[in-house]
Amino acid sequence: MSAPALAAPGGASAAPAPSRPRATRRRLLWVLAAVVLLALVTLLSLAVGARAIPPSHVIDAILHGGSSNDALVVRTQRLPRTIVGLVVGASLGVAGAVMQGITRNPIAEPGVLGISNGAAGGVVCAIVLFDVHSLTGYVWFGFAGALIAAICVYAVASAGPGGSTPVKLALSGAAFAALLGSVISGVMSTQAQALDEYRFWLVGSLGGRGWDVALQVLPFLGVGLVLVFAVARGLDALALGEDAARGLGQNVALVRGVGALGATVLTGSAVAAAGPIAFVGLVVPHAARRLVGTGHRWVLAMAALLGPAMLVVSDVIGRVLFPPSEVPAGVMTALMGVPVLVALVRGRKVIAS
Amino acid sequence: MSSTDGPVTRGRVGRRGGGAANRYAVLRAGRASFLMHRRSVLVAVALLLVLAAGFLLALCVGDRFTPPSSVLAALTGGDSPDAFTVEVLRLPRATVGLLVGVCLGLSGATVQTVARNPLASPDIIGVTQGAAAATVVCTVLGVASAAAMPFVAIGGGIAATALVYGLAWRRGLHAQRFVLIGIGISLALQSVVHLFLTKGDALQAQQAKVWITGSLNGTTWSSAWPPVIALAACLVPLVWAARAQRAVALDDATATGLGTRLDRSRLGLIAIGVVLASVAAGAAGPISFVALVAPQLARRLTRTSQLPLVCAGLAGAVIVTVADILARVLLSPTELPVGVLTAVVGAPYMLWLLARSRTGGRS
Repeated sequence: MSAPALAAPGGASAAPAPSRPRATRRRLLWVLAAVVLLALVTLLSLAVGARAIPPSHVIDAILHGGSSNDALVVRTQRLPRTIVGLVVGASLGVAGAVMQGITRNPIAEPGVLGISNGAAGGVVCAIVLFDVHSLTGYVWFGFAGALIAAICVYAVASAGPGGSTPVKLALSGAAFAALLGSVISGVMSTQAQALDEYRFWLVGSLGGRGWDVALQVLPFLGVGLVLVFAVARGLDALALGEDAARGLGQNVALVRGVGALGATVLTGSAVAAAGPIAFVGLVVPHAARRLVGTGHRWVLAMAALLGPAMLVVSDVIGRVLFPPSEVPAGVMTALMGVPVLVALVRGRKVIAS
Repeated sequence: MSSTDGPVTRGRVGRRGGGAANRYAVLRAGRASFLMHRRSVLVAVALLLVLAAGFLLALCVGDRFTPPSSVLAALTGGDSPDAFTVEVLRLPRATVGLLVGVCLGLSGATVQTVARNPLASPDIIGVTQGAAAATVVCTVLGVASAAAMPFVAIGGGIAATALVYGLAWRRGLHAQRFVLIGIGISLALQSVVHLFLTKGDALQAQQAKVWITGSLNGTTWSSAWPPVIALAACLVPLVWAARAQRAVALDDATATGLGTRLDRSRLGLIAIGVVLASVAAGAAGPISFVALVAPQLARRLTRTSQLPLVCAGLAGAVIVTVADILARVLLSPTELPVGVLTAVVGAPYMLWLLARSRTGGRS
């Protein structure tokens, strides 16, 4: 299953051979539109909540400070939360795009493949067993967990003749996620307090994330993005098949390795900040491919813009759905993501492989 | 299944010819005859013994160990200082665990037979999650009484199955598409459970645990009735299912050639499986992997080509009973949800199945 085939309906490739500058201009327009969308969503996230604050006040509070209640709410609570949402969304969207590129598998995604749960398992171990309580401390355990989970899931799925088909990847991801979920809740059960503190974290939520988390997670996004964009060209070649990529002079193992490392850093830090949030990494890359075609530099850039938009919108919806309680963002992304998964699976391309 | 010298009047035990040599025994009573797989009978008896021992042990262990003699005294109505602990606290829990296990094992056997794929068991294709989601939604919204809950659970299970089936249908049913969409729908339904658990403040954390992982903590007699009634109601259909299974397990052309109404048999088997799995989920939440493992375990023990129904049910009961004992004693005094234990055992088994398979199961 190759990535170009996925985007066949719609996207740049469907147009009758547009001249190169025109295609680029169209992609740029889409990117611009995504930036505008992201800005609007950010503003929405800052304005909506238990108490609605008019957008003009929001902008005023950010630009000029001030000590009114509204300004304080915006700057100390909603702004860090929104930033965490943006960073985590970007991480997950890009991680999904890279994983789909590396595995050449349209349903590869941190959540569905159980890699987020691996990271969560690592983080929980760090908290409960090693008593590490800062994000910069337990994020490393998250990386280790994500890496181990990724290797296990992929190894199981590609064992046996036939290699890793989407269904085997998804099943081994589901089994691994169930296993880790059980281990996590077992570990949590021994510590009633830990359970209470992290019950919402385990579903994937942006609630109550402060500036400390926001600032700690940002550098990891930077590192992850650098790693991932470094192999964007290689992923393009890989989409043609391993042999073709080798023929084009790519070091396939290196591309895969660096890409996997980048995806691990992105997933691990996202999970450490917000818990295992599924489906952002699945929906966003496919949407991006529809808009800007299959070139990985474009897809990755677009995913980095659409991912945050999707996650922050989920978070906003979760905040207004059942006030005063908040629905975790992870629940909302799953409800939005499953229809996309179903559409993908029905689209024949997944199964035909 | 009766033992060889069961209710047979003028019966004699015969042998089935040549190659099958010793594997089958035939019971004859007048014109009626009944073919029995010897090894299956032995396995069933062995499982029953293990189950009885496990059940007794489940009544003994807990915060405080009660000696078996004292448990038996309490059960037979004698005077025992532990009567309350055993009869009110532990007996309902052990009984519900046993019943739920039987339901899950049977439903796994029927559904896996139809799907011809061990991985397409009810807990993976969304049946149990559908039942759990329906129950949680109705509890939180307060639209159904406690008595109606089993029906709500069954409705949820059927609706989820219908949804998966409908979405997976595209010029025919493709096993892989079915499983993939099942996984997706299960994830969505889990989210629905979480969604409504955040809404329901009335729902206590204990109940939340039940609905997220499946647990027998704090079970009372009231949750024993739905599985009992469902099993009783399914008794006759199950006798039919045992026959239908044999034909459905063949390839389509052969089965049709033998005169089986394949679609009808499949639908019947699926219906039995969905009802039993839903009732189990309604009683104890989504206890994962039992429906996957029990029939496979039973088949490996009996070495039959079909999934043996009776042994699958018994194996399910043994698995849940043993898992619940472990869940209670492993991290004592903390009680783990039983679903945690079954997943820790079941998930690696599923991974092993996957690692050996070519496409994610046969077919």
